[in-house]
Amino acid sequence: MRDNGDAVSAAEPAAEPAQWIGAIAARHDRAAFAALFGFYAPRIKTMIMRTGASAEAAEDIAQETLLTIWQKAAQYDPARASASAWVYAIARNLRVDRLRRDQRAKAFALYEAVEVAEAERPDGSLDAAEREQRVRTVMQELPEEQVAVVKLSFFEGRAHGDIANSLQLPLGTVKSRLRLAMSRLRNRLGDAI
Amino acid sequence: MTIMHHPSDVTLAAVASGTLDEARAVVVATHISLCPRCQNAMRAFEHVGGTFLEAAAPAEMSAGALERAMARLDSAAAPPAAAVEQRKPAGDEALPAPLRQYVMGRWRWVAGGLQLRPIQIASDDDVKVFLLKGAPGTCLPRHRHGGTEWTCVFQGAFRDEHNRYGPGDFDEVDENVEHYQVVEEGMPCICVMALQGGIKLQGWIGKLLQPFIRI
Repeated sequence: MRDNGDAVSAAEPAAEPAQWIGAIAARHDRAAFAALFGFYAPRIKTMIMRTGASAEAAEDIAQETLLTIWQKAAQYDPARASASAWVYAIARNLRVDRLRRDQRAKAFALYEAVEVAEAERPDGSLDAAEREQRVRTVMQELPEEQVAVVKLSFFEGRAHGDIANSLQLPLGTVKSRLRLAMSRLRNRLGDAI
Repeated sequence: MTIMHHPSDVTLAAVASGTLDEARAVVVATHISLCPRCQNAMRAFEHVGGTFLEAAAPAEMSAGALERAMARLDSAAAPPAAAVEQRKPAGDEALPAPLRQYVMGRWRWVAGGLQLRPIQIASDDDVKVFLLKGAPGTCLPRHRHGGTEWTCVFQGAFRDEHNRYGPGDFDEVDENVEHYQVVEEGMPCICVMALQGGIKLQGWIGKLLQPFIRI
């Protein structure tokens, strides 16, 4: 596994995944599933391993995420989220779920409940590709110290207190870097947030 | 419903990245479920995760991983749409969706006009999660906290020194804040709270009342 290939700048805009999910929703397209699996499963595995899980547990979550996509493809709305953001949210839910289940045998459907809630679309919403591009641009523009904190949080699944400990920074500094990063994102997305 | 008070972006980012402890996440999720603006922010923040995921170096999958997934597709066939939406956990229909899945204790009186209903969520952080219901006009005297206090109102309203908190409003205070809260006249106020380390009443009246307030 390459170690430096996961910098945000290496990302290619992926137009197809949204179409693959659409094909699964429309006609249970197995070829589309295989393509989606080929792209996302190895990346989910990398991400979950970075959160501290074993290779085996990470692969389980990758498998479960792809099966969940197969089941819920019809709920995916390409106008609201890029394919990667949607897949990320599913993998996150399964990771959080598993952490809870390990501790006290109870399913964790909290984020599901949030997803089910009816959302109003933002005014003047950007299309998903444009929104994704803006998010990627913001991540490239952020100062390195802010990107590091954002990445530890979103990619490595570290709580703010853990990040403070491992970077040997006060908790307030970690939070203020995150706040600056998120506020830049809000500015860039304007009405679309 | 006009929501005036929202969680900070740092808090929303913690939920979007799945890194907030469950006890506090429940309170934030309650707010998000009532607040289109924060639902949109969550969606936007999930794109941050999406960009990292997309850019991740692919790990090597074990031999036959795709075949194993493909073999499970038929048994994992999509459940009927109704079954997905109708996932009704046990509990009160009047509760916001994120709260319905939890096991709750009985309502009990805490003090005059105040009732508390514990929600069973374990915490490594000494955080207790509960519903708090205040009768109209109930006043919680001036107090400080042993730690953080996160609140989301979902019925009625209360006021503190500076603000009014109605349905959907979210409030996050830490141990340095000292405040009092009064329930508005009209209807009872119900909120979900994640409270760390209990509360400490201030002033001589507070000291007299403290033994009777079991929070």
